[in-house]
Amino acid sequence: MSKTDDTQTATTAGTGAGTDLSSIRVDDPIVEIRNASVTFDMERGESRVLDEVSLDIERDEILGIVGESGSGKSMFASALLDAIVNPGVLTGDVTYHPQGDAEVDVLGLSPEQLRELRWEEISMVFQGAQSSFNPTITIRAHFEETIEAHNYNMEQAMAHARELLSDLYMDPDRVLDSYPHELSGGMQQRTLIALSLVLEPNVLVMDEPTAALDLLMQRSILSLLEDLQEKYDLSIVFITHDLPLVAGLADRLAVMYAFEFVEIGPASDLIGNPTHPYTRALLKAVPNLDTPLSEMRPIDGMAPDPVDVPQGCSYHPRCPLADETCRAEDPTYHDVTSDHQSACFHWEDSAEAIPLSTDGEHGETQAFAGEQSDEPVVSLEDVDVHFDQVSDGGLLSVFQEPDTVHAVDDISLDVYENDVVTLVGESGCGKTTLGKAVIGAQRPTDGTVAYRGQDIWEAKDSRRETDIPYEHIRRSLQMIHQDPGSSLNPNRKVAASLKAPLKRWEPDMDPDDRQERILSLLEYVGMSPPGDYAQRYPHQLSGGEKQRVALIRALLMNPDVILADEAVSALDVSLRVEVMDLMLELQDLFDTSYVFISHNLSNARYFSGKAGGRIGVMYLGELVEIGPAEQIINDPQHPYTKVLRWSTADLDIEETVEDPPLRGIDIPDPVDPPSGCRFHTRCPEAREACTRAQPTLDGHDDGTEHRTACFREYDESHEYWESEPIVDDADDADVAVGGSDSDARTDE
Amino acid sequence: MSIEETVPDGGTITGDEASADTPFGTVSSGTMSRRDRYKMLANEWVIAPFKILWDDWRARVGTLIILAYVLMGTVGVRLVDPPRVGEGDRLVSPFEDMSHPLGTDNMGNDIFAQIVHATPPMLEMIVAGAVFTTVMAVVVGTLSGYKGGWTDQLLMTFNDILMTIPGLPLVIVIAVILEPRSPWLVGVIITVNAWAGLARAIRSQVLTLREESYVEASRLMGISTPQIVMKDIMPGLMPYILVNFVNSARSVIFASVGLYFLGILPFTELNWGVMMNLSYETGGALYTWETAHWLLAPMVTIVILSFGLILFSQGTDRVFNPRVRARHTSAADPEEGDEDMSGEVATHIRG
Ligand code: SF4
Ligand code: SF4
Repeated sequence: MSKTDDTQTATTAGTGAGTDLSSIRVDDPIVEIRNASVTFDMERGESRVLDEVSLDIERDEILGIVGESGSGKSMFASALLDAIVNPGVLTGDVTYHPQGDAEVDVLGLSPEQLRELRWEEISMVFQGAQSSFNPTITIRAHFEETIEAHNYNMEQAMAHARELLSDLYMDPDRVLDSYPHELSGGMQQRTLIALSLVLEPNVLVMDEPTAALDLLMQRSILSLLEDLQEKYDLSIVFITHDLPLVAGLADRLAVMYAFEFVEIGPASDLIGNPTHPYTRALLKAVPNLDTPLSEMRPIDGMAPDPVDVPQGCSYHPRCPLADETCRAEDPTYHDVTSDHQSACFHWEDSAEAIPLSTDGEHGETQAFAGEQSDEPVVSLEDVDVHFDQVSDGGLLSVFQEPDTVHAVDDISLDVYENDVVTLVGESGCGKTTLGKAVIGAQRPTDGTVAYRGQDIWEAKDSRRETDIPYEHIRRSLQMIHQDPGSSLNPNRKVAASLKAPLKRWEPDMDPDDRQERILSLLEYVGMSPPGDYAQRYPHQLSGGEKQRVALIRALLMNPDVILADEAVSALDVSLRVEVMDLMLELQDLFDTSYVFISHNLSNARYFSGKAGGRIGVMYLGELVEIGPAEQIINDPQHPYTKVLRWSTADLDIEETVEDPPLRGIDIPDPVDPPSGCRFHTRCPEAREACTRAQPTLDGHDDGTEHRTACFREYDESHEYWESEPIVDDADDADVAVGGSDSDARTDE
Repeated sequence: MSIEETVPDGGTITGDEASADTPFGTVSSGTMSRRDRYKMLANEWVIAPFKILWDDWRARVGTLIILAYVLMGTVGVRLVDPPRVGEGDRLVSPFEDMSHPLGTDNMGNDIFAQIVHATPPMLEMIVAGAVFTTVMAVVVGTLSGYKGGWTDQLLMTFNDILMTIPGLPLVIVIAVILEPRSPWLVGVIITVNAWAGLARAIRSQVLTLREESYVEASRLMGISTPQIVMKDIMPGLMPYILVNFVNSARSVIFASVGLYFLGILPFTELNWGVMMNLSYETGGALYTWETAHWLLAPMVTIVILSFGLILFSQGTDRVFNPRVRARHTSAADPEEGDEDMSGEVATHIRG
């Protein structure tokens, strides 16, 4: 069994790297991790999901740990607290240094001591706050239970809890009296942070704490974290797959690849002068707002399987610098500077081999902009979509009173051939509903949706022949879903899923041709050997592969418009560029248009920008700004777009996480949207006139494609310019909880 | 249907139209013979599921037990002579005289022969009852769950009325009025309203499944509703349906035996329940040791069958689990399984 041999050799080599401790020491460590390994016994051999990792966490620092999913970063978090679940086995040392000289050997603690340590000294916040709360008791009860279980003084601790909640921009009384489901996702996550800090721990470990949230909320929470860290002298370990997100926040960064740290250093150093080829590749692969589009490119190859990590440097199969040494030996840490280490033999050459800035050679990229037609393929006119809340089982069902949600309000939009329209906005802004209305998957309450001039719903309902039969329309408008996990039927093999559309639309096709076509498509999107992939079930595919299959399936229908609903959001940052490139490439081949939905401005910029498309910004069911991608990114007009722009982390570390340029970070209730301009409750520029009248996209036609629904775009004569700026008063019910606290912070 | 003609951009890709350099234009080069295709289908639908069943000891034992009963009902009745009055001495104890391995009853009938010859009607009854329950529940449940609207309301109202009628009295009343003799009919009568609960449960599962992205994708691809139900909805329900099929088979056994034992169903043919009734009524099997074997033999027969069914149902949900299936279809890559592993590990950690 060569596999086991490989693993063993890798282990011995790994120990060599792990014992070289001098380079990763810090002066005043609060937690020291030495040679920590986690292994699982698998049928196929030993799976090593954390490989001899050594790292120090300095007192009062924010340490960012960056890695793709499956790189072992969550294992690292669990290892810190000796919380590896059976049958995983953790070896190595974890030492916790409370104040002074005391030392605690974390792995040697009894379960009871461990329980105390976990909340009182080191606490943890996971992704997905919803599942951490008990839905049957109030938030107050959660706090009280925790405090009681650790025998803390209830009064003092509760006072601390209230302070924490208001530090996190929430109204303590209201939050404490709520049940978990009454809070929005962002509030739940902030409450969870407060809960984990209520016993005044010294270390806070956060594993993808914001991944399920909107960017704006992520950014806001991050800016709050920084304040908390200073105020309570915390050491924070922030684990994420999103490099730009932590880049501005963290003091030090550690990059994980294949279950070990490949590069560790101060954030500014690591971003400004990355030396490990993987770090450099990652920086290029991550969509962001600053890097020229032509420079972003995916990392070739795949991350290794924990059972079968390549011998030598684990990155060598993907590394352009790899040579014999790399294949044979596991690199130890090399000092770049005294506090910046890189586990690479050739770190000095990496800057030359993998340049980060344009230098001609790497300038060639395909521009995908296709010819766009004059006549729209799909055109929406004054479309409204309203939902009754009782029947809506989804996200919005948390609100109790049966009320109408204006998911889409009076939107007109044309989609042309070869077009790319990206809709961005926070969750609940109606972007998915609008997208579904475009492809005829959601019946509008009011207004018309026409496909090449034929009203879609009329075609569906009418028994007479319509100009274009409904069947044809149905076929021409397709969708790729957000969650790769549920976009494919788990009980059908890839081949069966892909054959379904062909069988439906080309029933006469020869079965062998059908098979052949599917195989060649799989091959085309990089899934080879295709024969093998065709016989797989969805659970045997990675997220990116599932999305590719879903993409092929949609394209097999030869549609005119594809709605891609957050199609890349669930993928690892480094994979997004690759999948988006593939989508655009196929667009070129098939003359398809995309309606791309994203909450992420970087993805929107990449996708729309590369294809010369548009970006539309949505807020509470309305389209507030629309225009060519680069214009929206570089010259946003609407205050809300500016907020989104702010919320998108970039790789510039000089710029610290500032306070958000808005007055409240929580979205108003969509059941009862604010009067006038819907953004006026959060808009930093809002004036009295904004509460009364509603700005429109067409109110100030200046003839360009870039249109904005804000009074600031109107000419001088508009009453906006005369009216009084809005000053928040604490009772304004529409303003998010804590909105009142925030005005002091925004007048910078 | 001439969809091609209505496409203004001429973008429809059909085999002849598309150029060969796009993967959409590919035409197969080699032909897979009909034989190979059948082989593949057989492998996927018969051999692989069987292998999966065989891998699990519970399913293996369950299958063997069920198989033994089926053999008893088909081959057994030919090998064993039907019981005759006065065939042997009265009330011979079991294992005493090897020509009557399980002894005889008070009329000298061989008990083993009675049990064997009671098997076919019992099996017919079980199958009738289980099939009726499952088919009704699946049809009503999926129809009402997937269609929604007034179909749903109508079916569910009817369903709820059935659910609120107490089962046993209803069955007794029907049995007394109809005096059913055919075992098929008896099976159906016994389960006359037993399917309602299952139908509701299936409906609620369909309601969840129909919101899945892949179902929406199929809808958007214009795939017909029956196809969606068959291909996208049903496979997700199969483990559940199968377990309930077996459960209703068991409840048919118990209910019929109970009803025969109470003498509510007419004594027509030999039947394990009838045997127990006679042993108790005429033999006083509950009070005397001499006739105990007359009661015990059919009882043990029933218990073993029921046990076999339970084991079988526990083993079968694996057949529908794609993770297990994947490991058994030979075409799959031997390296697979790593995805489930990382998935499992991830859930462990989160948990
Ligand atoms: S240059 Fe060698 S040691 Fe460095 S990352 Fe590449 S393969 Fe690894
Ligand atoms: S109209 Fe007023 S409230 Fe609305 S975005 Fe413009 S300035 Fe802000």
